[in-house]
Amino acid sequence: MIMNEEEFLAHAGLKTQTLKLWLEQHWLIPERTSAGTHFSDMDVARARLIGELQTNFGVNEEGVDIILHLLDQLHGLRRALDQLHKDL
Amino acid sequence: MTNPYEVLGVAPTASSADVQKAYRKLAKKLHPDLNPGDKAAEDKFKEVAGAYDLLGDAEKRKRFDDGEIDATGAERPQHHFYRDFATSDHAQPYTNNSGFADFKDADDALAELLRRSERARANRRGQDLHYRLPIDFVESITGANKRLTLPDGGSLDVTIPPGLVDGQILRLRGRGEPGAGTGGHGDALIEVEVLPDRRFTREGDDISMELAISLPEAVLGGRIRVPTPTGDVTMTVPKGSNTGTTMRLKGKGAPRREGGHGDQFVKLKVVLPKQPDPELEAFVSNWANGKTFNPREDSAP
Repeated sequence: MIMNEEEFLAHAGLKTQTLKLWLEQHWLIPERTSAGTHFSDMDVARARLIGELQTNFGVNEEGVDIILHLLDQLHGLRRALDQLHKDL
Repeated sequence: MTNPYEVLGVAPTASSADVQKAYRKLAKKLHPDLNPGDKAAEDKFKEVAGAYDLLGDAEKRKRFDDGEIDATGAERPQHHFYRDFATSDHAQPYTNNSGFADFKDADDALAELLRRSERARANRRGQDLHYRLPIDFVESITGANKRLTLPDGGSLDVTIPPGLVDGQILRLRGRGEPGAGTGGHGDALIEVEVLPDRRFTREGDDISMELAISLPEAVLGGRIRVPTPTGDVTMTVPKGSNTGTTMRLKGKGAPRREGGHGDQFVKLKVVLPKQPDPELEAFVSNWANGKTFNPREDSAP
């Protein structure tokens, strides 16, 4: 599902201010088009993860940054591995 | 359902701080997004999260302790984890390859495979761009050539096919963002918004409109001009037409996908002269049959 900013905030349970911060940190990278910013279900799931890290696990801002960076690498590796698996 | 105290590994006498601590410790290890490859982690995490849902909330915990609700009362709603998306193609803006960048420079079979898989992704197609284009109702029926001005100053020529409906998406192949390597451009996806029209409304392939006619035209009939999206046509109004009488103009509706056209329905509306007319008043007051006819006969309670 493609959402605009307002719909995304409602789905992810975020405040405008929080979203602004997360976008500045590049924690969320929504698709930007002529018609504005588009958010996907994946962005909602990622926002939920960030929210859980912060509220449930007590991870601070620097911690979230590191976790996301490692997680993105992990998924990069998993994709490469998956591709290898298909190539072999 | 297992006892939530056992799931979290705390004593029933544990303080809420201890419960939270125990939960965090388990959840950190079991969170599905932190264990993308471990299918079992999700079930275990749900169990732990369910237990914490119950015990982490002082009121729910008390009700559970009192036996008012059982452990299943804390089942969490289904939710999609980030990991479900992260390995899909849409995750491109997030995933990165620095986790194995050093392997790729080696000179062995694994490195070759890694390089190949990276090239496959390096040659990915450009992103699709989404636009919205408002058009007039008439243009949606007849088709049109429109120029869409892009935010970067460029423009796109868009051919609107006849009979297009509101919300339809036109795909201009190769007019999206440039891809990487040999991946080629993405597509431009244009959502067309059909603006409402004062005169016409559309239902499927048919077009409806309301047309005012004069009293003489209604009583005596006659030939009148009727606008259609493709230009005016002449229509014969039969003698004795009434407000609500609907005429059909065959083939004057929207083009059908399978060929042919829908119809245009013209609903007549009798309109009296704007200025009171003494001659008309004199006629009506002497018109005997007009007084005996009760138009509300059918709708009488």
